[in-house]
Amino acid sequence: MSRHLAAAHDLVVPRAVVRHGTTTLVDVADLRIDAGHALTIVGESGSGKSVLAHALMGTLPPELVAEGTLEVGSLRFDLADRGGRRHLWGRRMALLPQEPALALDPTMRVRHQVAEGAAVWKPRAASALRLADERLDHLGLAGARSAYPHTLSGGMAQRVAYAAATIGGAQLLIVDEPSKGLDGDAVDRLAGLLAAHVEAGGLLLTITHDLRLARRLGGQVLVMRDAVVLERGPADQVLSTPVHPYTARLLAAEPSRWRFPWMTTPEPSGEEAPLVAAHSISKAYGDAPLFDDLSMEIRAGERWAITGPSGAGKTTLGNALLRLTSVDRGTVAHGPTAHGGRLQKLYQDPALSFPARVPLGVGLRDVMRRHDVDEARLGSLLATVGLPRDVLRRRPDQVSGGELQRIAIVRAMLPRPALVFADEATSRLDLVTQQMTVDTLMSEVVASGCALLLVTHDRGLAASLTSRAVSLNGGGEAEIVTTAAQPAMPGSSR
Amino acid sequence: MSTSLVQTEALAPVATTRKPLVRIAAAMGLLTLAIFAITGPLLLPDPAAQDLSRYLEPPTLAEPLGRDDYGRSVLSRLAHATRLSLLLAAACVATALVLGTAAGIAAAWAGGWVDAVLRAISEAFVAVPALLVVLLVSALASGGLWALYLGLALAQWVEYFRVVRARSALVLGSPAVEAAGLLRLGGAHVVRRHLWPDLRPLLTTLASLGMVTSILAMSTLGFVKVGLQPPRAELGLMITESFPYYDVAPWMSLAPVGVLFLLTVCFLGLRSTKETR
Repeated sequence: MSRHLAAAHDLVVPRAVVRHGTTTLVDVADLRIDAGHALTIVGESGSGKSVLAHALMGTLPPELVAEGTLEVGSLRFDLADRGGRRHLWGRRMALLPQEPALALDPTMRVRHQVAEGAAVWKPRAASALRLADERLDHLGLAGARSAYPHTLSGGMAQRVAYAAATIGGAQLLIVDEPSKGLDGDAVDRLAGLLAAHVEAGGLLLTITHDLRLARRLGGQVLVMRDAVVLERGPADQVLSTPVHPYTARLLAAEPSRWRFPWMTTPEPSGEEAPLVAAHSISKAYGDAPLFDDLSMEIRAGERWAITGPSGAGKTTLGNALLRLTSVDRGTVAHGPTAHGGRLQKLYQDPALSFPARVPLGVGLRDVMRRHDVDEARLGSLLATVGLPRDVLRRRPDQVSGGELQRIAIVRAMLPRPALVFADEATSRLDLVTQQMTVDTLMSEVVASGCALLLVTHDRGLAASLTSRAVSLNGGGEAEIVTTAAQPAMPGSSR
Repeated sequence: MSTSLVQTEALAPVATTRKPLVRIAAAMGLLTLAIFAITGPLLLPDPAAQDLSRYLEPPTLAEPLGRDDYGRSVLSRLAHATRLSLLLAAACVATALVLGTAAGIAAAWAGGWVDAVLRAISEAFVAVPALLVVLLVSALASGGLWALYLGLALAQWVEYFRVVRARSALVLGSPAVEAAGLLRLGGAHVVRRHLWPDLRPLLTTLASLGMVTSILAMSTLGFVKVGLQPPRAELGLMITESFPYYDVAPWMSLAPVGVLFLLTVCFLGLRSTKETR
């Protein structure tokens, strides 16, 4: 970060417009990134923030048309000209893409991948590799130099992608949704790296829906919605005392600020037989134990969270409790009320949990026929989640992630489940959509008296939704924390 | 990653129901050949009726493809040969498809020893060239129709088995099937809603290629005189029989070659060119 070619120049975009056909995806004026001050764009998905980042970078898909200019110091670039900025990539401007696990080449060792971006890179030259090693060591990845990307955790892959993006010494760094799928610690670490880039005089543009990251980076914040900027200003001001009502709604969508009626509904404290009883179960992948000698019981109506850093085995534990995965030792017993499709699961990527080539309604009809559910129940569930009936005529790839997750909730609720296992079910959704989705899920869960098993890396979300937690530390130790008598009070999280 | 760049909903093109021109043309061609193969044998004279006085008669209006070296009607023989080729190929493909798909799904579903046994059998078949399998079976049953059918079907089922097994394992391991299991929707639902929609485009492509392979294999065997025996009208046999007369009666060899060519092109053109997800 100290190898910037020239003195730091500010980046100015007087106007940027991106269109697809007759739809305007982005229309932003007076965008300015000052050296030494971060610029963060927040907003819900579909607001055009990622499109704006790609328009600046010159990496828009060909069917999108961009207009406007980009000024860096004395240089001016036409946004419509995609090729014009290509020679700046890596050296002057770099993009840290979404989902680094997918952006890295799975067939290449980490250090070779990182070395490719270095200015001194030549095939089989040692100097670029040395530089890559240096960068990786600096990021605390010395042990992962010759690892393949699939062996890395999400946070490590993110840092490798960061090393690869910045090794060329780019002054302008554009970061697209860096916190997606990362746990809190990994986001904090990344925020430290980004802050260091800014302190060294770099230009930083971050696209995110993670307000905590935006607060952490400071600088200026833009709030985008429906292609336009609704509010802009210093981060601490916009993100604490918003002027625009939409910004206020965005802030209220953070789990720690939720106020929902179901949050104060006490759980039933009956002494019924447990739905799911795990007796001293253990599971390890290779030498790495996920949990060892763990016993727990889930009773009707209880709300449980499984928390822990990524890779700690949260999903595996949940699957083991539903008997979708075998355990190495111990037993998992299901109570009489848990049989016959009364244990349901919501998936992190709802698109993968529906048959891909079948209209959604067809799949739901099968569920209704199997479990003798009448049409009225489907209608009322759809109304609760706020979806029109027409949506069922579409295939899974024709609806947005938030809508699809709500249809998944409808599907899970149709057989009147005794337990719903939500496996990071909202971690890919933006804050507003997450709030809406969780609200529909919890309203249904509380209304039907079914138990909840929530897997999440978001401690705020876990605290808002549940009163009992299994906390995995990633080293095989599990701790059961119960705040049972008192359901989590709003605002008391973390 | 780029999927989230622009909401797919906004950009999803209007679903086009118009099929490419090539596929329509191929379907029309096949339909014409099928009508010829069905109605020809009913309307035209006996393909085996000899009339030595009309030896190698050139094409006329009444006999558009002339007569062969025994004075038999080439058009009539061609209609019978086309019917035989289409029916036998369809039977072989249907058998191979049903057998291969069922075995593939069973192997992917059951895993364990079922998978191991089925894979071992399929690998034994892969190790032997397909034409050799047909030759072996034909040799055992010396040129009968049944032997040819059995040989061709046995040579082809492996292809379906391997493709279906690989694809089914992927589908059966997906969260969608896990969710169906939690909903207790049963095996029929998994086959009908998950496997079949996913396998169908693969199977249509494989089947249209399989038709071509069967038809060509049949005529190849006829050509080298191990397949069906004269006086049966068969495309490969017709080509061999017409060879000695190619300079005096070119219509005799051109007719079966033309039909083979058309069948091949039409079946290849029928394949879906659309990218399957």
